[in-house]
Amino acid sequence: MKVLQGISVAAVVLMFCTLVYAYQRTADWGYQPEQTSEKAEFAWSRLSYTSNMSSYGWGGYGRFGYGRGGSWSRDYPKADRQFLIALNRLTRVQGRPIEQVVNLDSDDIFNYPWVYAVQVQMWSFNEEEAKRLREYLLKGGFLMVDDFHGSVDWENFMNGMRMVFPDRPVEDLTNKDEIFHVLYDLDDRFQVPGEQYIRTGRTYEKDGYVPKWRAIRDDKGRIIVAICYNMHLGDAWEWADDPDYPETFASMAFREGLNYVVYGMTH
Amino acid sequence: MFEFFFKYPLASFMKGRFVLLGRWPGWVLVLLAVLSAGGLGWLMWSRRAEAAPKLRGWRGGVVWGLESVLIALVLLLLWEPAMTVAELSSQQNIIAVLVDDSRSMGIADSGGDGRQTREASAVKALQDGVLAGLQKRFQTRVYRLDAKAMQAKDLGEIRADGAATHISDGLKQLAAETSDLPVGAVVLLTDGAENSEGGVGRETMNALRNRRWPVHTVGFGKERAAHDVEVDDVSVASRAMADSRMVATVRFHQRGYAGGKATLVVRDAGKPMLSREVTLAPDGAMQTETLFFHAGSAGAKSFEFGLMPLAGEENVKNNAVTRPVTVSDEKRRILYVEGEPRWEYKFIRRAEDDDKTVQVVSMLRTTENKIYRQGINDPKELESGFPVRPEDLFQYQGIIIGSVEAGYFTPSQQELLREFVDRRGGGVLFLGGRFSLADGGWGGSSVAELLPTSLPAGRSTFHRDPATAELTTSGGDSPVTRLVDDPLKNVERWKKLTYMMDYQEAGTPKAGATVLADLKVGQRKLPLLITQSYGRGRTALMATSGTWRWQMSEALGDTAHDLFWQQLLRWVVGDTPGRVVAGSSAETLTDDGRIRLTASVRGQDFLPAADAKVEAHVIGPQGLSTTVEMVPAGDVPGNFVADWTAEKSGAYLAEITAEGTGPLKDLGRDVVSFQRTDGVAENFHTEQNREMLEKLSAETGGRYWRPEDLSRLPREISYSEAGVSVRDTKELWNMPVVFLLLVGLVVTEWLLRRKWGVV
Repeated sequence: MKVLQGISVAAVVLMFCTLVYAYQRTADWGYQPEQTSEKAEFAWSRLSYTSNMSSYGWGGYGRFGYGRGGSWSRDYPKADRQFLIALNRLTRVQGRPIEQVVNLDSDDIFNYPWVYAVQVQMWSFNEEEAKRLREYLLKGGFLMVDDFHGSVDWENFMNGMRMVFPDRPVEDLTNKDEIFHVLYDLDDRFQVPGEQYIRTGRTYEKDGYVPKWRAIRDDKGRIIVAICYNMHLGDAWEWADDPDYPETFASMAFREGLNYVVYGMTH
Repeated sequence: MFEFFFKYPLASFMKGRFVLLGRWPGWVLVLLAVLSAGGLGWLMWSRRAEAAPKLRGWRGGVVWGLESVLIALVLLLLWEPAMTVAELSSQQNIIAVLVDDSRSMGIADSGGDGRQTREASAVKALQDGVLAGLQKRFQTRVYRLDAKAMQAKDLGEIRADGAATHISDGLKQLAAETSDLPVGAVVLLTDGAENSEGGVGRETMNALRNRRWPVHTVGFGKERAAHDVEVDDVSVASRAMADSRMVATVRFHQRGYAGGKATLVVRDAGKPMLSREVTLAPDGAMQTETLFFHAGSAGAKSFEFGLMPLAGEENVKNNAVTRPVTVSDEKRRILYVEGEPRWEYKFIRRAEDDDKTVQVVSMLRTTENKIYRQGINDPKELESGFPVRPEDLFQYQGIIIGSVEAGYFTPSQQELLREFVDRRGGGVLFLGGRFSLADGGWGGSSVAELLPTSLPAGRSTFHRDPATAELTTSGGDSPVTRLVDDPLKNVERWKKLTYMMDYQEAGTPKAGATVLADLKVGQRKLPLLITQSYGRGRTALMATSGTWRWQMSEALGDTAHDLFWQQLLRWVVGDTPGRVVAGSSAETLTDDGRIRLTASVRGQDFLPAADAKVEAHVIGPQGLSTTVEMVPAGDVPGNFVADWTAEKSGAYLAEITAEGTGPLKDLGRDVVSFQRTDGVAENFHTEQNREMLEKLSAETGGRYWRPEDLSRLPREISYSEAGVSVRDTKELWNMPVVFLLLVGLVVTEWLLRRKWGVV
């Protein structure tokens, strides 16, 4: 009897959990990013990509679409909006206060020549998406990727990237590169940790001990994909107003982000 | 027939003067004629009642008229009418016979069968009696005429091999060389294919009038070719930037191929660069076609513009002409001032990355106090922001003013901007944007006169709403907006361009400005791209900052965005002069090597450098290399000239250098290319130029003759006031026509009276 009760309770709990999970997935599928009618020169555009991989509780197996809770939306939208506040306050870029979510399903992405993507170890493209991103970048679009760590993430990131650019090399940026001087001189960069630093005191995640500023260039040597690897700038923007998150990390994250935006608007 | 009735040739009446030899004055004749007519009329009226009834009405008037004319004629004869006319004295005058022996006279379209050469026809006409007829009363001198007139010992020397026809120069030369000879008249046998522009010049006409020479012209050759296409002129810039798109206007006409197709071709060193099919206009109608082609790499080039020969064409040597063009790869620098980071800035810069001859140097306000510079030559360039000294700003050939307020520039910088266009001859392009044009306060600035439009009042003229572009008629013909070579397809291409992200109200175009493209916003049309000339330079306005969508939203590899911006910016800087601007009186010298080289020289601040030392180093065919010193022109400070002669046929290049006396020693250099072509002009205008020949003979008192009428020439040529001539008086009373008239009047009256039954 106890066994039967146990099985029954377990079945009820399992059914409840399944319903809750099912409810959540349905809610995610129906999610529409917040939009605004305000017009400005620059729209902070976050790439909403599809994923075939699990991500530590975010998403899961299978193609999870663009629902909120997918890996693309890490730190969204607070990181975006706090960055936009900095952008409008510290530069003459006219930035729209509300971010724009873009995806690779339509040509709408071509209206936003600067795109930010996170957790890119999770992305996956079909042929059409890869082609659209390739054309976007070769026409003059700019992609900044952030918040992926360690060797496994890198391989997963490159799996997607190789669909976009099978042959273009990835190179490490040096201090001489213009992207580190277009607005602020960023010769003394350091690893910007995520929010976990507050709890753990660690600046790295997984085996991503050393921060890497990498890039893919077009035929004229202009950076078209800026890769912020083994760092988490998005978290720094998001937690910049947290008294426990060190200001020095937040400042560096803002400076790097602003340089990347201005570079993307000038090269 | 004329002489049978009037006793003397028509020419004598045309040249003679009517006189009355009678002793009584002419007014007495008129008075008597009037009195006679009046008296006769009074007599007929007073005796009307006694007259036959039929003569009381209009018939009486007719009788009165006939009898009055008869009385007047008799009275006139009593006054001894005569004609005085100047006539060459026999055996005392020379008749100059000029026979055109240029190559065009070798065309076989004359004679009775139309297969004889013009030269053979002319010689035959002379041999068949004309020369002998002249020699009965005059001495004759035969000249062959091509580039100049040369006396020929006999007609056998005339071979139709001259490289040019200079009728005007030849006649002038003849007048000068025979000033001490009694030349009584000139006979000119030619097709009239004068190579010099303008036909017979004023100086020649004055020389002919001074000698009182009647020039009798004899025309040879067809007045209209049956099947021919001829290029009349090609208009193309004499200098261009490397790899730039050039525009040429080709004017031509045809006969015998109306409505047919022909292929226009542009060649560079014999290599076809462009070909386009055209439909030929009606016979004789001037047709103009515009061609766009690429200048190619740098160098002194000779482009050939022509039409491919058509089937059955009589003359294919007049199908093409060449034009020298100096193509320069000198880097033109544009200073781009941008007030905020924005996409238009990025994509304009990217478009110019592919243009090797234009360098965009930009200063971008990234923050309130930071300026990001790109394209600078050294770290100090633009370090202090927008230049404040002419020598710093004038090093650029063009300026782009982006989304930046007028107030960002000090009053002196604004004045410098104006002088950049006016004095330096630079180009300025104003872009739309939230701090641009009216929204940037430019309408009220001292720079407003530079703008090609009168900006609207108010500051809400910039709209972040979609707008499309559409070419105007002027834009359809402009190399700035040419995205596709075919004009119609180009207009359609613009209509299909994706929309722009924003637009700005630019106001009303000023007088003299040209609108190349319009904005289409819903049903409204606003000017989008406007250009104008200002002082020595030029300005343009592009009322949007949203063309970057043409790059991002058109297909990958589409060239529309980049091509447009490259062409627009080349227009901005293409004609910006340096401190030394070389020029020449002609780009193509036809059989005459005289040329005037010119130079406009400016100093460090682009003010005229009147005291500069200027030299022209000329390089020509067969290793020619010489230096010519240029002297001040005198009329305008800073202008220098040198007269020089290109002795040989071929291409020439003159590099003109200027040395200043101020702190800047090397004021710069410029090159000009020209070519001398010998014999080529003879292939053009090969139809008989009867109009010119008729005009020449009419203005000198001669006559235009057709070859078949020449038998009368020896007799009529004697009526001339030139040479040794006498004025002869020829009585007119005994002309047969007078007797016939007298008899005719009497007989007419008698016949009428018979008819009316009143005899």
